[in-house]
Amino acid sequence: MEISSTITETEPQKFALPVDSEHKATEFHLFSAAAPHMRAFHLSWISFFSCFVSTFAAPPLLPIIRDNLNLTATDIGNAGVASVSGAVFARIAMGTACDLFGPRLASASLILLTAPAVYFTSIASSPISFLLVRFFTGFSLATFVSAQFWMSSMFSGPVVGTANGVAAGWGNLGGGATQLIMPLVFSLIRDIGAVKFTAWRIAFFIPALFQTLTAFAILIFGQDLPDGNYQRLQNSGNKQKDKFSRVFYHGITNYRGWILALTYGYCFGVELTVDNIIAEYFYDRFNLKLHTAGIIAASFGLANLVSRPAGGVLSDMMAKRFGMRGRLWALWAVQTLGGVFCIILGQVGSLTASIVVMIVFSVFVQAACGLTFGVVPFVSRSMDYICLRSLGVISGMTGGGGNVGAVLTQLIFFKGSKYSKETGITLMGIMIVCCTLPIFLIYFPQWGGMFCGPSLEKIATEEDYYLSEWSSKEQGKGLHQASLKFADNSRSERGRRVHSQTLSSNATPSANV
Amino acid sequence: LRAGEDKITVRWGLNQSLPAGTDSAYKTIKVQLCYAPISQVDRAWRKTEDHLSKDKTCQFKIVKRPYTTGNQTLEWTIERDVPTATYFVRAYALDANDHEVAYGQNTDAKKTTNLLEIQAISGRHVSLDIASVCFSVFSIISLMGFFFVEKRKGRKAQQ
Repeated sequence: MEISSTITETEPQKFALPVDSEHKATEFHLFSAAAPHMRAFHLSWISFFSCFVSTFAAPPLLPIIRDNLNLTATDIGNAGVASVSGAVFARIAMGTACDLFGPRLASASLILLTAPAVYFTSIASSPISFLLVRFFTGFSLATFVSAQFWMSSMFSGPVVGTANGVAAGWGNLGGGATQLIMPLVFSLIRDIGAVKFTAWRIAFFIPALFQTLTAFAILIFGQDLPDGNYQRLQNSGNKQKDKFSRVFYHGITNYRGWILALTYGYCFGVELTVDNIIAEYFYDRFNLKLHTAGIIAASFGLANLVSRPAGGVLSDMMAKRFGMRGRLWALWAVQTLGGVFCIILGQVGSLTASIVVMIVFSVFVQAACGLTFGVVPFVSRSMDYICLRSLGVISGMTGGGGNVGAVLTQLIFFKGSKYSKETGITLMGIMIVCCTLPIFLIYFPQWGGMFCGPSLEKIATEEDYYLSEWSSKEQGKGLHQASLKFADNSRSERGRRVHSQTLSSNATPSANV
Repeated sequence: LRAGEDKITVRWGLNQSLPAGTDSAYKTIKVQLCYAPISQVDRAWRKTEDHLSKDKTCQFKIVKRPYTTGNQTLEWTIERDVPTATYFVRAYALDANDHEVAYGQNTDAKKTTNLLEIQAISGRHVSLDIASVCFSVFSIISLMGFFFVEKRKGRKAQQ
């Protein structure tokens, strides 16, 4: 990537990180908070983290809340479903909002609009009000899309995967941290003198305030693009309109997007489900104290610190040697193993064994999430990941699919008293293994699939695959240029052996369009 | 009955129709508040199990005293962390090793008669309600404030 050359600009801008011609950072320095790139990263993951903390603040305190609000197991299950179902549509809508208003305003608005739901959790007084506050709080999980969108605006090709993977992983960390924080805050308030049934209510102000403050930080310190805030409405308002329907059409008619939405439902969806049920599971099954159950439950979500980013790294490593086929095999293998350990978790009866199996299970399930988003960028070029223009339809579909998986799993296995929790966990593991099998069906003509090599027929080059999404009229307008560049860059997905053959035919790098 | 406010009077004693010497092993009496079946429906965390160490029917201790012959009485104020539910009272006689060797309860074997209904405190306070509403309104208004400032900055930049 070239460092920004400032021949055409009158005021050369100095960035703390090396940038490309679009001023996107080409390096990722984790321990820097330099504006605008790394600052955007930190604002992004911290705000996403706070949304996870708020959405899963109730589960570790359920043993207290269920007595205060007189909840049945069915009520608890319904609230759990509600907490993850709002984000299904919110994630899809968020992509559009980012396009129209920019990730800074879109995410800060969502966070500030859902903060009242967290404040109102303190005054919930019935199963229905409890369900409603969990439902509206859950909308905040759509900040996943704005975080990914923002990272894609700030970081260029080689590092955008890392930026996205770490931002997503560290955001998901909130689901684990909250299982530690909430029981701790609750004990503190109770020891100061409040009664149990009041202490948990006061405790909810902590995640609510945290969420509000992160939104303020985004609005004050963040900016949409390396060069400033969103003025693209002037630049591309018209272009945006007539692209939307085509981009949307190509997104939803790509079968790979649907398969990935399903499989993401059984790694990320499972992660959300476990965040909802695991504290109560340990508390009830092993008769632990509230904060002990919280610590154990937290270790599930805290594994996200490294496991999700590691999944992304593994995907890139497999791609270097084996191309896209390696990415698919790794995804299938890791996610299936996650399912196997889930089955085992439901079967073991001792506390120590449960904890160990749960941690192994968490590593595999979260790595699978990282591996999924190693494949997503290549499914459709009309889906945004590296270029700013399009809508992230497939990213939104996959993200939404994750939440649908959480909804379905909780509805089938964790609602009411039909299955004991341990049976539900085993059955969930079986479902993970089954719903991961469709990865076998993913096939890219230019790279192959899990069992078949690349096709020898007509649509067999990267150019052909990505160009087939543009009609000849659109190609006449030159709208496909970015896709051509992407096709060129994605040739590395063929893997090591073939890559060196194609390198010799690409003598000169293409000029930036 | 309201938690934190109302009192219940519990009376217990050995059933006189039993042969003498039945209570030779009894060392302690533990009186507990237990969930009636109707409050256990769809709530696995209150389930009755035969194995006493796994049983979760009785979760609230009223009193634990050394055993004495003759009838005992106690007036107990219902504690504030007792949830809204239907209850009965059960007394366990424990031996020197703290194992349950006998019990009695104020209801029949099917736990359907003479049950107590307790209404819990809500845990809510007016100050909490006010704080919640204020902070929520503040969040929305500050968002509108930020939008307003953005628009003004945008208009200034265009001029």
